[in-house]
Amino acid sequence: MANAVEYNDDVVKKFVIACVFWGVVAFLVGVVLASQLAWPELNLGLSFTNFGRLRPVHTSGAIFAFGGSALFATSFYIVQRTCHTRLFGGEALANFIFWGYQFFIVMAALSYVMGYSQGQEYAEPEWHLDIFLTVVWVCYAVVFIGTIMKREEPHIYVANWFFMAFILTIAVLHLGNNLAMPVSLFTAKSYNVASGVQNAMIQWWYGHNAVGFFLTAGFLGMMYYFIPKAANRPVYSYRISIVHFWSLVFMYIWAGPHHLHWTALPDWTQTLGMAFSVMLWMPSWGGMINGIMTLSGAWDKLRTDPGLRFSVTAVGFYGMATFEGPVMSIRSVNALSHYTDWGIGHVHSGALGWVAFITFGALYYLVPVLWKREGLYSTKLASWHFWIATLGIVFYITSMWVAGIMQGLMWRAYDAFGFLQYSFSESVSAVHPYYVIRMLGGVLFLTGMLIMVYNLIQTVRGPARQSVSPMMAEA
Amino acid sequence: MEVETGDLIVGVAMVVFGLIGLTLAAGATDNEMYVFGLSLTAFAAVFGVGLIRRHYDKAEAYARKENGHG
Repeated sequence: MANAVEYNDDVVKKFVIACVFWGVVAFLVGVVLASQLAWPELNLGLSFTNFGRLRPVHTSGAIFAFGGSALFATSFYIVQRTCHTRLFGGEALANFIFWGYQFFIVMAALSYVMGYSQGQEYAEPEWHLDIFLTVVWVCYAVVFIGTIMKREEPHIYVANWFFMAFILTIAVLHLGNNLAMPVSLFTAKSYNVASGVQNAMIQWWYGHNAVGFFLTAGFLGMMYYFIPKAANRPVYSYRISIVHFWSLVFMYIWAGPHHLHWTALPDWTQTLGMAFSVMLWMPSWGGMINGIMTLSGAWDKLRTDPGLRFSVTAVGFYGMATFEGPVMSIRSVNALSHYTDWGIGHVHSGALGWVAFITFGALYYLVPVLWKREGLYSTKLASWHFWIATLGIVFYITSMWVAGIMQGLMWRAYDAFGFLQYSFSESVSAVHPYYVIRMLGGVLFLTGMLIMVYNLIQTVRGPARQSVSPMMAEA
Repeated sequence: MEVETGDLIVGVAMVVFGLIGLTLAAGATDNEMYVFGLSLTAFAAVFGVGLIRRHYDKAEAYARKENGHG
C-alpha cells in the first residue's frame, strides 16, 4: 500500500516555503531594477543599490533561489511518490541540503551587493561559494539517485529521468564553467582557467544549458507529474515523453554558441549552435503537445482548477518561447535581435510564463496536499492571481519586443552619406516609454505573487481535511 | 537509542565546515572572505546544535513509546 510508506515531507514543505519567499524577493528586486532602467536616479548613487550589483541578485534570486527551491521541493516530493519509498540518506542529509542551499543563496546575494563577482553570467559567485554549492549539489544527487536506486517500483517514471538529467548536467556545467584559480586561499578573487573567446564559449555552453537543464528539464519533470495528477489523466503519450527526453538532452547541450553570433567565435561553431537550436524546436514542441494533450477529456477542469490553468498556460508559454528561441538563433535574425531588449523579452516569456507559471501550478496543488487541507483557501483569489500575472507578462514581453526591434533597427540605420542615423543615446531615449510599461508588467506580476502568498498562508491556517478526496490522494 | 549514520556523517561534516570557516576568517585578505568564513562557522555551529536537539527529541519520543506513554 502506498500509504504505508512514511515520506519525508518535512524537507518538501521547507523548500515550498523558501520558494514562495524567494519568489517575492526576486520579483521585487526585478521591479526595482526595471524602475532603475526607466528612471536612473533610483540607483540612489550608492554602490550597493546600483543596477550592476542588484542585477545578479535578481537573476540568481529568480533562477536559483525561487526556481531552485521549487525544483528541490517538487523533485523530492515526486521521487518519493513515484518510487514508493522515503528519501535516501536520512533526515539530517535532507536538512543539510535545504539549509546548505539557503546558506549559499544568502551568501551569494551578499557577495553581489558587496561587489564581488567572477564575471560569468548566471555564475557570478566566486570560487569559495562555488565549492560550497558543489558539496550541497553532490548531496542532492546522492539523495535523489539513492532514492531511485532503492525504489519499490520496477519502473522509473519519466519525471524522474528529467530530474536526473537536470541534476547531473548542472553538476557538470557548474564544475566546467567555474574552473578558476584563486589569487590565494584567503582571497575571494579568482581567475577562470579559460580566457578570451574560449572563456566566452564555455560561459555560454554553461549559460544556455542552465536554461536547458535547470529551467527546462527540471520543470518538465514538474509538468510530467503535476498536469496528469491535477487533470486525473495519464500522460497523453508515454512514448513521446521518452523521445522528448532523449532528443532534448542530446540537442540542448550543443546550442550554446548561438549566444556568440557575429563574435570572434569561429563561424563553424556559430553555425553548429544555430543548427542545433533550430532542431531543438521539434522535441520542445513534442513535449508541449504531450503536456497539453494530457488534458484530453478533462478540459473542463481548467474552469474549476486555477492551479491546472497555470500549468497548462505555462506549457503554452513553453511552446511560444521554444519557437521564438530557434528563430532568434538564426544568424541573420540574431543580427537584429542580439544586444537588444528583444532578448530580455524572450527570456522573460520563458521565465515568467513557463518557469513561474508551472511552479505556481505545482504550489497550488502541493500546499493543500502537504498541509493536509481540503483545498485552497480561495480559488477566486487564485484566478485573480492568474489573470493579473498573465496581464503582467503580456505587458512585459510586448513592450520588450517593440523596444528591442526598435533598438535593433535604430542601431543599423544609416543615412545617404553612410553615417549612422541615430546616436546610441537617441535609442535609449526612444525606449523609455517601453521601459515604463515593462516596469508596470513587473508590478502586476509581483501583485499576483503577493495574492498567492496570502492565499497559501490562509490555506495553511485553515482547518485540516476530514477525508481524503481523489484530488488529494498522494500516491 | 543509537546515533544514525547519516546524522553522524553530517555532524562530522559540520565540524569540518566550522573549522574551515574559522581558518578562512582568520586569514582573510578581503571583506568577502572574512564575512563568508564567519558565516560558515556560524552555519556549522547552528546546524550542529540542531542535529543534537533533534537527536534528543527523537530519543525522548522513543523512550516515551517504549514506556507505553506515546
